[in-house]
Amino acid sequence: MKRLRFDRWTGQLPLTRAGSALGSTSMPRPGVSVATISPRCTAVRYQSTLQNTSVWQGNPTTLESDGPYEQYKLYEEDDGTDHERFPPLEELPEKATTLPSPPPERALQSAKLAALHARLSLPERLPLQTLARALVDASADEDARFNNTNLAFVGQSLIHYHVAEWLMCRYPRLPMDIMYAAMRGYAGPATLHQVARSWGIEHAAAPGGEVDPGLLQFSQQRVGDSITAFGYRRTESKAVQKLRWRHGLSSRVVFDDDFGDMIDVEDSRAELMARANTEWGNEYTRALAERAFANCTRAITGALYAHAGREAAASFIKAHILSRTLNMTYLFAFKKPTRELSLLCAREEFEPPVARLLSETGRASRTPVFVVGIFSGKDKLGEGQAANLNSARHQAAMNALKSWYLYSPGEDTRLPSEMLTEGAKPWEPAYIDIGEIISR
Amino acid sequence: MLPSGVRHKATSARTRRALRIGPHGSFISPDGSPADRATRPTADHIIYNPPASAASVLHTPFKFLPTNDPRRRANLASELFSVSHPASASPLRPSPASAAPTPTSSTTETSQAPPDPTVTSTGISPESFPALGKRNGEPLYKPQHHLTKEDIEEMRRLRTEDPVTNSVLTLAKRFKCSKLFVLMVCQAPRGHKEKIDAQLTATKERWGPRRRAAREERAARLGLLFNGQL
Repeated sequence: MKRLRFDRWTGQLPLTRAGSALGSTSMPRPGVSVATISPRCTAVRYQSTLQNTSVWQGNPTTLESDGPYEQYKLYEEDDGTDHERFPPLEELPEKATTLPSPPPERALQSAKLAALHARLSLPERLPLQTLARALVDASADEDARFNNTNLAFVGQSLIHYHVAEWLMCRYPRLPMDIMYAAMRGYAGPATLHQVARSWGIEHAAAPGGEVDPGLLQFSQQRVGDSITAFGYRRTESKAVQKLRWRHGLSSRVVFDDDFGDMIDVEDSRAELMARANTEWGNEYTRALAERAFANCTRAITGALYAHAGREAAASFIKAHILSRTLNMTYLFAFKKPTRELSLLCAREEFEPPVARLLSETGRASRTPVFVVGIFSGKDKLGEGQAANLNSARHQAAMNALKSWYLYSPGEDTRLPSEMLTEGAKPWEPAYIDIGEIISR
Repeated sequence: MLPSGVRHKATSARTRRALRIGPHGSFISPDGSPADRATRPTADHIIYNPPASAASVLHTPFKFLPTNDPRRRANLASELFSVSHPASASPLRPSPASAAPTPTSSTTETSQAPPDPTVTSTGISPESFPALGKRNGEPLYKPQHHLTKEDIEEMRRLRTEDPVTNSVLTLAKRFKCSKLFVLMVCQAPRGHKEKIDAQLTATKERWGPRRRAAREERAARLGLLFNGQL
């Protein structure tokens, strides 16, 4: 394998910085103890530094001379960067490099931030400083006055409210586990991560005060203290995970978060965390990135709500999250579909379902096809085809159940939140199903 | 039904003529003479002849619509007054006479409106299709609910005394109930299940790679079917 040439890489940091870690990535910066800086972090800083160390070593006089580069003494760390060769892109305020995240006043100078603001068609009332704050994850800056924790919590509450309301009115008969899966499909962390990526948000290699405020900043080493789920911590969560204790749906409704997942389950990720310092991405760092991007999406929604109000946030959620396509028919999995359909017909007082062979071809051949329909009285409930009679019957029963569960009053179903607008028509009760057929 | 390439006539020309299939009924003009059947349609009616496709599960069947749904009110009249004439022949194996398209009936039906995919629009009643798992319209097994508490206690005693002689199948035959009912009621004595499991494992170990792979694939296919991935 070819050796990685870090010294040939260009950085995405606007300021060129270099420490004495130029020679090897294992050497720390001056004044920083070995314990506080991880090798990976050093490597990240290192990628934005000199192309050729010999140039720097041969010409150290530029730093001492009071020539045209005297202004660079602004930076409180005189770290030996060749500023003639790598001039900084902007002048940083004092002590910017010691801050964990960029100071708010730098938001007005960031082109990336202004571009993001324009690209998302955000209103003027949402200032760039708030947008910059939405891009700082709790893992980058622990101070809740400067990170996006508060905005993300507001945003996730709004997103979950609107998605759950829409799902309930649009598909009133969904079973609870399918409801959880649909919630995850529309508002889960993986989806919100993709939404943020599609907005063109990029992330900084490592957080810091010198980073462009238009980049998403999160730590690749640790998880920040951000609240993105609401539920109760279970005492038996370890047993549920390791001993496969029952994790039923009724208890999920009470204890777990909006996707039916347990709150705050400590995974044994020590090994992955340790490897995160030396590798260029593993499962753990990907999880951290997904979490940070998802929080960023939530925080921008929350910021919009705080500055522009409820209607702007609702239309933003509709445009960016509810407009996504999720094929609900793929979410279903059954165990005993024929029995479930019999129970449904008994509950709804339909005639008991009967499977009938509608057509067939090639019964004696290698590839037969059977088309089976399930009838209740004169009505056909579902139809399925397969290579043997039993599979076709199961398929038909599953199709019938799906068409029951995926009943929708229509695409333009009214939502309860639409009543909050001025001059809304009187509310007509939405269709609510009486409940699930079988318990899961 | 016939494999292709089999000649039943003396010459190839006669075979080709015998196997010639006429156009679908919807392609024939309703006013055309019988001699016109093989020609193109002359009338300017819309030909509705969609290819066969699986019905979408997003089309809710009429029976599954709630009572206050507007679609139910709109379809109620057609549901109540739909003419369902039982087919003269079995729909699976139509006789040659009924298989020949009858242009007047089929075109007038199809040109009016697209049929509802959930309703048997062919006018054939569901009873004319053979039901699966039934013999002469009756289910293959019908629970009789005839066993009393004493019977069940007797069944349990027998099963506990000698689970080998009084197997599940034997008990089901003796008490005229299903094997599932026996399994629901009785529990084999301790150790019997382990013995059966050991026998099964020994049997499975004798399987060759082909049989084992076939069984595993079958189980995997069933899992895919229930997950909707097949």
